[in-house]
Amino acid sequence: MSEKRVAPASGPTTPPRDVARLLTCVVARELRDGEVVAFGLNAELLLAAALLAQRLHAPNLRIRHGLRIERGHELSPSAWTEERASRSHEVIEYLEAHDAILDVANRSSPMRFCDVFFVGGMQIDREGSANLIGIRGKDGRMTIRGPGSIGTTSIGTLARHVILFSDEHTTRRLVETVDYVSVPGWRRRAAAGLEGGPSLCVTPLAVLDFADGRMRLRSVHAHATEEDVRRRTGFPLPPGPVRTTPPPTPAEVEALSVVDPKGRLDTVDLCRDGGPR
Amino acid sequence: MTARGERVASLAESAALVRDDMIVGLSGFSYQNPPMAIVREIARRGVKNLTLVSGPTSGLETDLLIGAGCVRRVVTAGVVFERVAAVAPAFRRAAERGDLDVWECDECIWHLALKAAAWGMPHVLWRGGVGTSLPELNSDLKEVMEEGRRYLKVPPVQPDVVFLHAAEADPFGNVRVAREAYLGRTFSESALALACRGPVVATVERIVTNAEVAVSPERTIVRGALVVETPWGAHPGGVSGRYVPDLAHYREYAAAGEASLRGDPVPYRRYLESHVYGTEGHDAYRRSIGAQRLDALRTSRA
Repeated sequence: MSEKRVAPASGPTTPPRDVARLLTCVVARELRDGEVVAFGLNAELLLAAALLAQRLHAPNLRIRHGLRIERGHELSPSAWTEERASRSHEVIEYLEAHDAILDVANRSSPMRFCDVFFVGGMQIDREGSANLIGIRGKDGRMTIRGPGSIGTTSIGTLARHVILFSDEHTTRRLVETVDYVSVPGWRRRAAAGLEGGPSLCVTPLAVLDFADGRMRLRSVHAHATEEDVRRRTGFPLPPGPVRTTPPPTPAEVEALSVVDPKGRLDTVDLCRDGGPR
Repeated sequence: MTARGERVASLAESAALVRDDMIVGLSGFSYQNPPMAIVREIARRGVKNLTLVSGPTSGLETDLLIGAGCVRRVVTAGVVFERVAAVAPAFRRAAERGDLDVWECDECIWHLALKAAAWGMPHVLWRGGVGTSLPELNSDLKEVMEEGRRYLKVPPVQPDVVFLHAAEADPFGNVRVAREAYLGRTFSESALALACRGPVVATVERIVTNAEVAVSPERTIVRGALVVETPWGAHPGGVSGRYVPDLAHYREYAAAGEASLRGDPVPYRRYLESHVYGTEGHDAYRRSIGAQRLDALRTSRA
């Protein structure tokens, strides 16, 4: 992670299937020992990242995956699986009723819901607000209905540490201002009397962070170019030399083979080339 | 001594509890434990203007009733088929056409609205959701100041009747989960049941004796329910510890719904015809899916 170099104008192309592994490493590096990390169901990549962090630098990381606490060592199937053989009994510490998510409001309890939470959306904007509600048409009405805010609003407001994750990098996803707010970003949080804001936005092409409540480019993945990333972002990113996202280290590669022996990461939903232009 | 009263009901009489304009609670989480057999029975009865309180993140049980024209309003944090459809198709179509009102919430706010009903509170204050679009989208979800901080004022939501699907129950209405569990063991069964003003109906994979239930009380999640023995009652959804979701069936449903979104209503109509209106009851539905296909969904311990 200490490697610093300027991303080449047209870099070498990683075989697309490796992008999921790179993003897994990027996310794992953000997770700290002793934290509780939470994410939803369709989240093998995030689960893999958490399992990877446990093996490498965060042995006391607790993983809350849906309604269970994972203590497995291998990427396990999620809710959508058709796999009939379940090892759940071996890898789950406990299962709980869904209203346990309300415990997110007390950040101090040893049984707290989470410290770190991942948020995605149909739109993510410059200040880090996320929208899962819908897209407005020219007349201001909702013309495209989104899934709904799911678990994001309250946890994304109350968790200590929010990381945005996007499975594509396009101008339709990364917009100047979201049409509806499921999770507030920096400016909206400040206006509502909430401290802080999301720390990071990870996409298949780049890692972005925030300065003064505005998104900026932290690193570009080796298979992408800075020019392409800027073109695919729906708002200006501050200029400046941008480094290449450090590739997986030998230790990360080795741990990934333990975490994901069946190559589930090769099949995660991800626009490895960034998605439609 | 008079005998303890059993609470065993039939699917038809349970579905008949639902009348036009009611608020109906449906348990289930994503692909797990949706009460599909009762949902198909309700759809066959052609009731109108229902408000569904489902989820908190709901799936086919909600989408099918919307697609069948039974629903005017939903109280849910999302209607999705993970990995099959990012937004459930009938929900999307009805919302985009303005035929469906959505109480815009997230999973925490959904739970708090039920807690408010269970606790008999006029509202519950909650800090999650300040600074978002939710107050702007729901006229009854206001931001208020209390001791210098902003909160959402969450109103109670009280279902008239609740339906859930579980692994087992005894004849006295004690509903319990399978010993084996998968994604979770319990979902929102008790949250909905505790908020409900009327009957709670549990369809279950099988009815077991009270003696069996009494030896492991920690597995009982709802008491006092009407119980209906309904094997495969969650299909095409899965049941924790019993069977996995039939994702091929979900894909077929989603493809039909997406054709509707593109302006071709025929495949969706055909789906409803073959799986809802054209089957007379749950046994006929099971036969139409086929024993072999159902057996292939049973979970096995690795």
